[in-house]
Amino acid sequence: MPADASSADTLFRRITDYANRADPYPLYAELREHKVARQEDGKYLVGTYDEIAALLHDPRVSSDLRNRAEPDPSIMPPEGPPPSFIGRDDPEHDRLRRLAMRPFGPPHSPGRIDALRGDIARISGQLADGLRGKSSFDLVDDFAFPLPVTVICDLLGVPSEDIPQVHTWADTVVSGLDFPPDEDPGARRHAAYEARSAMGQYLGELAEKRRHSPTDDMLSALANEDGPEGALTQQELMVTTVLLLIAGHETTVNLITNGMLTLLRNPEALERLRAEPELIPSAVEELLRYEPPVQFLPQRTPLADIEVAGVTIPKGVPLILVLAAGSRDPLRFPDPDRFDPARRDNQHFGFGSGIHNCFGAPLARLETQIALTTLINLLDGPRLLKDPPEYRNSPVLRGPRHLLLGQGKH
Amino acid sequence: MQIVVDLNRCQGYAQCVFLAPQVFELHGEEALLYVPTVPDGREEHVRQAVAACPVQAITAGEQAGGDSGAR
Repeated sequence: MPADASSADTLFRRITDYANRADPYPLYAELREHKVARQEDGKYLVGTYDEIAALLHDPRVSSDLRNRAEPDPSIMPPEGPPPSFIGRDDPEHDRLRRLAMRPFGPPHSPGRIDALRGDIARISGQLADGLRGKSSFDLVDDFAFPLPVTVICDLLGVPSEDIPQVHTWADTVVSGLDFPPDEDPGARRHAAYEARSAMGQYLGELAEKRRHSPTDDMLSALANEDGPEGALTQQELMVTTVLLLIAGHETTVNLITNGMLTLLRNPEALERLRAEPELIPSAVEELLRYEPPVQFLPQRTPLADIEVAGVTIPKGVPLILVLAAGSRDPLRFPDPDRFDPARRDNQHFGFGSGIHNCFGAPLARLETQIALTTLINLLDGPRLLKDPPEYRNSPVLRGPRHLLLGQGKH
Repeated sequence: MQIVVDLNRCQGYAQCVFLAPQVFELHGEEALLYVPTVPDGREEHVRQAVAACPVQAITAGEQAGGDSGAR
């Protein structure tokens, strides 16, 4: 059925089209007009705030792809280990997430992230020192990427000499989420699957070593867990740590990069933050609303027919929640297309909402607050050398591949 | 600096506990405890916690309930 290129049932195709990567927001506005948009291939897109919020808290919406009426081999391989907690429903999601949380945050480890402040500031400072005196540089390769990767590898207990290998795997896994046009996704998915397995194998072996000689990292704690609920099985430990490593790798990079891009596009906001550094925490929340690193959730499935805004979304279909569209819904946020670092009542979807709310959110917040503070203080009259920048392929984990900045005298 | 938390709004996301563990504490899996008067030197941590609350349940100011909020 040939579809009109501008009709609502081609929205997903247009959103994933790389040509629209630099500015998908007009497409999101179009989606909000329809609230719910059935796509030519049977997917359903939702883009308005209230409807997304309701679905994120609806127990009839599953995160487990095994509930799709038609299995989609492109996003879920027919064999392999069961999914990590991001792709599971309660009660299994809850058990796995709780066990992963024990060494990461409250109630068992409330001070873990807080204790990283000094390390994050030190690494940020060292990376920013390396940029001093350079008239031009790539913010991604020289700062935004190495910071979170070093932090998450340290936290989990990956030795620094293994970071390049881990990075190669993580990149391959994430490119499995891409939707490049005119390409058979088979090879890309297969490579992603292989990389995920290799990473799991590696982390499993590392955890095994820590089981015998524990250090103070998360892998040691997970491997030696002896709480009332028992420990993760070896396979659960592998898929969980792969998830944490990948998520800790690829999202904060985009948040920091989108942050500097946004501040350099809004010089008055940058000046304001320089003068009022106490606004940094709320500026980071505004970034999470305005340019979120995760644009939509592609893996939800209704477990029953669900009526949303007068449309019945059938059981078993792919349900895509476009968080970045919801976070700019004018019915929820006044003047939503304006970047306001002091915005109040900013209940954005930057970390999702509900039971799957981002596990690493506190770490991402702290890293980004410290990173932006460091960059604002240390860079000397930074300016964008290429706007819009070159973007990565992924429409889900959207962010610049490189962000070329200049500084100093013109 | 003083804080008040709307415990009817609180849903136990615990973001405040991560960012200011000296001020907020989880009792069990989700009941929140907090110190209404912020210890000196923890103001920045509290500002981070206020901004991070996914349900915007925390108000901080020089006087609890006053209008000099951190947000």
